[in-house]
Amino acid sequence: MNWFDSGWGLTAAVFLPGVGMLAVVAAPKADETLQKAIALVTTIATFGVTIALAVSFNYDKSGLQLGTDKSWIDVINSRFHIGLDGISLPMLILSAFITMLCVIYSWDHFPEPHNPKAFLGLILLLEIGMNGTFVAQDLILFFVFFEIVLLPMFFMIGVWGGPNREYASIKFFLFTLFGSALMLLSFLALYFIGPNTFDIPKLAALHGAGIVHSTQNLIFAGMFLGFAIKVPMFPFHTWLPDAHTEAPTVGSVLLAAILLKLGTYGFIRIALPILPQAARDWAPWIGLLAVIGIIYGALGCLAQRDMKRLIAFSSVAHMGFVMLGVATLTTFGINAAIFGMVAHGLITGMLFFIAGSVQERFETRQLDRLGGLLTQAPKLGWILGFCAMASLGLPGLAGFWGEFPALLSAYNPAKGISGNEFVVFRTYMAVAAVGTVLAAGYLLWMLQRVAFGTVKPEWENVHIHDVHVPEWIAWTPMLLLIVALGIYPNLIFRVTDGTVTRLFGG
Amino acid sequence: MLDYAWIIVFLPALSFVVILLFGKKLPRHGSEIGIAAVGASFVLACIAVVQWISRVENASESGGFKALGKGFLAKAGAHEVVVKPVVHSVTWWQNGGMKIGAGTQIDGLAVVLLLVVTLVSLLVHIYSTAYMHGDRRFTYFFAALSLFTASMLLLVVADNTLQLLVGWELVGLCSFMLIGHWWEEGVNSDAALKAFFTTRTGDIGLMIGVIVTFFAAGQTFNIVSINEAALAGNGGHAIWLGAAVCLLVGIIGKSGQFPLHTWLPDAMAGPTPVSALIHAATMVVAGVYLGARMYGVFWQGFSIHAGGVNAMALIGGVTIIIGALLAFVQDDIKKVLAYSTISQLGYMVMGLGVGAWTAAVFHLFTHAFFKALLFLAAGSISHSGSHHSFDMKRDMGGLRKYMPITFATFMIGSAALAGLPPFAGFFSKDEIIATAGHSGYTTFLYIGLVGAFLTAAYMTRAVYYTFFGEFRGHGEPHESPPAITIPLVVLAVMSVLTGWLNATVIHVEKFQQWFEPRFAFPTDVVHPSFEWGMAGIAVLVALAGVGVAYEYYWRGVGHGATERNPLARAGYTFLLNKYYLDDLYERVIVAGIKGPIARAAYWTNQNVIDAVVNGVGKGAVVVGRFTYDVIDQQVVDGAVNGVAEASGETGGLLRYMQSGRVQWYAAILFMAVAVLSLALIVFS
Amino acid sequence: MNPHIDYHALAPEIVLSAAIVVVLVADLLFPDRDRWQTSRIATLGVLGALIPVLTLAADGTDRSMFGGAYVVDNYALVFKGFFLVVTYVTILLSSDYIAEGDYYQGEFWFLLLTSVLGMVAMASARDLITIFVALETISVPTFVLAGWRKHDVRSNEASIKYYLIGVLSSAVMLYGMSLVYGVTNSTLLTDIAQKAGSLSGSMNNLLIVAIFLTLGGFAFKVSAVPFHFWAPDTYEGAPTPVTAFLSVASKAGGFVAMLTIVYIGFYNSGNSWQPVLWALAAASMTIGNLTALRQTNIIRMLAYSSIAQGGFILVPFAVAGDSRPAAASALEAVVIYILIYAAMNLGAFAVVIAVARRTRSAEIRSFAGLGQWSPVLAVLLSFFLFSLAGIPPLAGWFAKFVMFRAVLDAHTSAAAVIGVIAAVNSVIALFYYAGIARQIWFREPTLDDRRPLEVPPALNAAIALCAAAVVVVGVYPQPFAKLGELAHF
Repeated sequence: MNWFDSGWGLTAAVFLPGVGMLAVVAAPKADETLQKAIALVTTIATFGVTIALAVSFNYDKSGLQLGTDKSWIDVINSRFHIGLDGISLPMLILSAFITMLCVIYSWDHFPEPHNPKAFLGLILLLEIGMNGTFVAQDLILFFVFFEIVLLPMFFMIGVWGGPNREYASIKFFLFTLFGSALMLLSFLALYFIGPNTFDIPKLAALHGAGIVHSTQNLIFAGMFLGFAIKVPMFPFHTWLPDAHTEAPTVGSVLLAAILLKLGTYGFIRIALPILPQAARDWAPWIGLLAVIGIIYGALGCLAQRDMKRLIAFSSVAHMGFVMLGVATLTTFGINAAIFGMVAHGLITGMLFFIAGSVQERFETRQLDRLGGLLTQAPKLGWILGFCAMASLGLPGLAGFWGEFPALLSAYNPAKGISGNEFVVFRTYMAVAAVGTVLAAGYLLWMLQRVAFGTVKPEWENVHIHDVHVPEWIAWTPMLLLIVALGIYPNLIFRVTDGTVTRLFGG
Repeated sequence: MLDYAWIIVFLPALSFVVILLFGKKLPRHGSEIGIAAVGASFVLACIAVVQWISRVENASESGGFKALGKGFLAKAGAHEVVVKPVVHSVTWWQNGGMKIGAGTQIDGLAVVLLLVVTLVSLLVHIYSTAYMHGDRRFTYFFAALSLFTASMLLLVVADNTLQLLVGWELVGLCSFMLIGHWWEEGVNSDAALKAFFTTRTGDIGLMIGVIVTFFAAGQTFNIVSINEAALAGNGGHAIWLGAAVCLLVGIIGKSGQFPLHTWLPDAMAGPTPVSALIHAATMVVAGVYLGARMYGVFWQGFSIHAGGVNAMALIGGVTIIIGALLAFVQDDIKKVLAYSTISQLGYMVMGLGVGAWTAAVFHLFTHAFFKALLFLAAGSISHSGSHHSFDMKRDMGGLRKYMPITFATFMIGSAALAGLPPFAGFFSKDEIIATAGHSGYTTFLYIGLVGAFLTAAYMTRAVYYTFFGEFRGHGEPHESPPAITIPLVVLAVMSVLTGWLNATVIHVEKFQQWFEPRFAFPTDVVHPSFEWGMAGIAVLVALAGVGVAYEYYWRGVGHGATERNPLARAGYTFLLNKYYLDDLYERVIVAGIKGPIARAAYWTNQNVIDAVVNGVGKGAVVVGRFTYDVIDQQVVDGAVNGVAEASGETGGLLRYMQSGRVQWYAAILFMAVAVLSLALIVFS
Repeated sequence: MNPHIDYHALAPEIVLSAAIVVVLVADLLFPDRDRWQTSRIATLGVLGALIPVLTLAADGTDRSMFGGAYVVDNYALVFKGFFLVVTYVTILLSSDYIAEGDYYQGEFWFLLLTSVLGMVAMASARDLITIFVALETISVPTFVLAGWRKHDVRSNEASIKYYLIGVLSSAVMLYGMSLVYGVTNSTLLTDIAQKAGSLSGSMNNLLIVAIFLTLGGFAFKVSAVPFHFWAPDTYEGAPTPVTAFLSVASKAGGFVAMLTIVYIGFYNSGNSWQPVLWALAAASMTIGNLTALRQTNIIRMLAYSSIAQGGFILVPFAVAGDSRPAAASALEAVVIYILIYAAMNLGAFAVVIAVARRTRSAEIRSFAGLGQWSPVLAVLLSFFLFSLAGIPPLAGWFAKFVMFRAVLDAHTSAAAVIGVIAAVNSVIALFYYAGIARQIWFREPTLDDRRPLEVPPALNAAIALCAAAVVVVGVYPQPFAKLGELAHF
């Protein structure tokens, strides 16, 4: 497997979906089963590759591995440099995993207008972008992959989306594009003011040496906007509820599970290690926006009548916890953030799946029209309950390990954060802790209104099918993983800790 | 067994999964698995207890251990021999290279709880086979019971605060599931949600407490290390005070202490066996257990040795009284018991607060049995006596004739609860009160006595309504089946005997000797010796309570006070409305957040933040329209066309030649050039 | 004495001229039904002219003639090649359009080739007069081409307008050039550069005006705001292939001339031209984009978008004077941008032409639901549009990228400002590009005829070429980047 470890494996993990996409596009329009089969095989193969990578990954080594560094655009000396470390590996696997399950889920429910060919093609294109972003080790390469995801998601929302899809799609597109434009400017500034390289490890190794402090802060500001819009952090979040509400189920799942993580990942991979000084100056403000997001998102949820929109808002709150962890600049915080990213990916992904299935069965997501799901479709109801519990950060399930260590880290943040970091961050901690109660509030109220009580008269004589086979196949792995990670969190911490300690330990 | 305690936790957990997967297909719908698993755990727990005792005894052989328990002398001898807890742990997660473990810490406290939890849980399991027979979610109920037991055991054996937190929350989850077992009725799911929210509010305290202790003790979750650090006062007193306060908030939420006790009575919405489990062995006990577990932190934080008044004792004391008072105005027998639980938990917390560690744990131990007994008896009444009603005034009365066993056992339970010798409650409660007196907490001595009086009184009332007078219900009341009565008998026996484990009156102090920690534990705890005077007063007070109640209910002395005396009436309504706390919480706080605040936030989102975004978008379009319509079209072409119309020529090429458009372009062109070049010269 | 003539260096021009003559003759000799053959001759001529370009590139030595007035170096070769390829694509676009139109065809090709000859010459011109002649050779034929649809009033208007503006701008430019000559008494750019260094104050002011007038002239050619107002009408009126040719080739011709003049002639007097170009760039981007937002006709929209794109191309000029390295990366940026811009813009026009064969309209509304009745074209059009918007992995992102790179390389506040303006504009631009994508994909078709569209092979070839360029360069920009690196003075 030498060739595999020397970069080809990783390259395959990124570009295999591309091959599949071409195949899907080439497949005859009529033969939908073939198209689905191709997409399924491709995503499974890609996932297999990522697993193989995880197998040959050396968990005691904190540096990059299994990567390659080939020439790409010499003129601007940007290189095709990809590699894996403890931070990118879990995200890569998550991305491949979720995409695979999405293809499985869509097997027999494609949203209108049907057209599986285009739909699957877009999903695969999306996967290139996502996988690529998580392994790119060159700023320009990162930027390209980071942007590739825009088009597919734009079309997914715009073509297969809900009634308000045109507004939502263009809003999503413009918002993110605006952010990434400034991000690109920051990258270039970094290049010229810094040591004329786009290579992330090299830049990280320099810790922003040779860049004036004030300039660092400016550059960081650009990156911050780029990433914060993607996360999204308050007050740049308003594209999210619309995008989520309008997007087709699979779209929402991918959006919540992976796309949001591109932003947080960007912070951890690029902004923080490359500009540590600026990071310390910005940390209190990032933390502030994070906790505002936590409370604000929760309140937004409490005001919702639409199940899907509620879940969308909950993402704002959960990503708030992730960003709080990031803002502390401590190993605890960053480890928690990565765990939180994975956990939120699984849990909120599941919640969107369920919301989709509920909508499919009842043709509505209005909480006041739903009720008694547990009597009509007990399994679906219990899965919803399970995910609600996981989402509110119940210990023993994955969500907890994103939240608690984040709070923990906020109790004593990294040295040198500007201002009186202890007072500030401990206040954040207290506020965020209140957020956990609010989370319990909106999730359990949702559960109560959807699952408990008696069936509403309008559905009494309607046959509601309990969980379908494709749903089982797509969901079981996620549910098991949520439990497994909750019981034995070291599954992730073991992977991330080494790298995180190397980057943020000192 | 001490080394393999994890098995005790694992068995119920396993049975949860098995019941969930295969329960429905089994002949007895999964109940058999639950009983088998918990039964096994119980046996193992007993073994653990025996092994622990022998460990202590053997240790005590070597070195002047006999001195222990002789009142104040204990201080000298108690710590010559150190019996360390048996700790086993594995890596759970890691950070910054530091391995954070999960594992089991078995010591006196742990084994006591293991015993209580497994025993009560086992009896509840057996009881439920009859009580829940034919329930629509029988299997699911047993699965939940198993998980409930497992979570509590996980919490009990925890060797670190984080694992404790996990168990703690899982216990909360299970009570949520079981309280809301009949979720079709809104009331039940409301009660479940209320329980979860309230406890979770307290959990903020616990979480922060765990975090504070983690750093205060030098980055460790390990309970022993934290207690040691706390007792050594590392990092100054203030931080431990903070930690203690945070943890206390957790206890308040979980153990139904004032002011977060309101969820506990509503939790009666759950099936009765669940109430028994929640109130005797699992959910609410967790709080007190935390207090006992992290005693070092409280000892240091509240400087308990100093005497006087401290937050912990105060909370406990207040809870004793407010709980007991509320018990008087309940018609629902389960609610009476619920408020009595609140009040009794108050005793335990106060006990911890006044330095009576052993007494508090001892009371937890005895209370577990007689409270379980009382609940199960109440359940038995509703099952066979009052057609699934718990209303004492409407559907009960005179039942002693019909259900002798239930009656007898209930009486024993009540006596124990009322603190009448020789029943268990007497010893434990008396010891708490005594210690309060001896360690400079005189105030709480009196509170304890008042509590004893009230307890005796309201239990008498309950007994009167339930078993005496004429049967007010309908149908044919009869005794319950053995599956129900046997657990009652067992618990009754326990309620009689367990008290004698620490009967200071005859200088039996086994409980203290066996189970009080002698490691990472305050060295200067007080162990008062028995005093006839104190005990006598306590008993008299209790008897007085019984007497007054008897006078009022049997003889009708003082009836109609509420009608005659406005003050009494006011007090009565105040109690009926539960001090208006529920209104404060639900109508003001929760409704406030759910309603106006949330809606305001969302409004801001849609009409302020989002408006900015859309505004920018619209702005661009508007500016675009302006640039096109005005600048691009009117200034240039518009003017041009104007001239075109003026020249009035129409049609064809000619028009474009003669319409003046050409001249216009030329003019504009040269003007622009001229102006700009002029500007250029000026500026450069 | 007669000047030394390097025939190898002039081979491309010679081949083209030959082709022009052949086309004319063939046009006279062929019977009407064979006239379409002329397009083949034109094609051969263009491709034939490419051969010597390649040989020269292989040879690699810089060749200079007429005392440095006419130079063949890498810069020249890159652009010669570029113009020829663009023309080839234009021919592919036009052949069916012209063949199907009921107009006399022969001279269409003649005019096209003549214009190209001018461009090829422009790439080598290093002397004001040569530049002027080349520029006129480019422009004059296009005046006629713009009015190709004789019976269409709009086409006539387009032609006339364009003609007049062209003439006027040439006049301005010529005036400027004569002033330059008066100040520096030389037309050779290299000499001008020398003289410009050593000038007294008043003379310098005069030179400044001269430079400004000259550039003003070019500003018309590249339709930079505020000298742009002819473009939309002309583009809309002219036959679409010609519009494509105008918006790409002749625009590029103008930029090439600007590059040569600015970099060789006026480089040292940067303070005079930099502010002008800065203003032109900012205005073109902003006004162009904002106006494009409002368009309902796709040709007009593309017209304004190309004005905006022109603004983006001007941005590096605005910072070129700040430092030598800045100048280098600015030159690189302009070249790369022009190359990529050509590919995506031609592609967009090609698809529009193809679709218009069915819809007979250029209203954006008429593209509704294209994704349903002609998915392939729809996908490709989306490619070109999003590439114009600069979305990776389509070539446009790299053009924008090098542009920003040049800006940041300058390290001046003026540069920073124009950089932000450019960034904001690239977001605004997405708005109308995505607007069309919305029509194509999110809306239901308006016309009933939903049979898949059959596209003539030539047009297909053109679209395929552009699409390939857009995708390949987007994923692997190195080749174009290399060309940009080569093309320096």
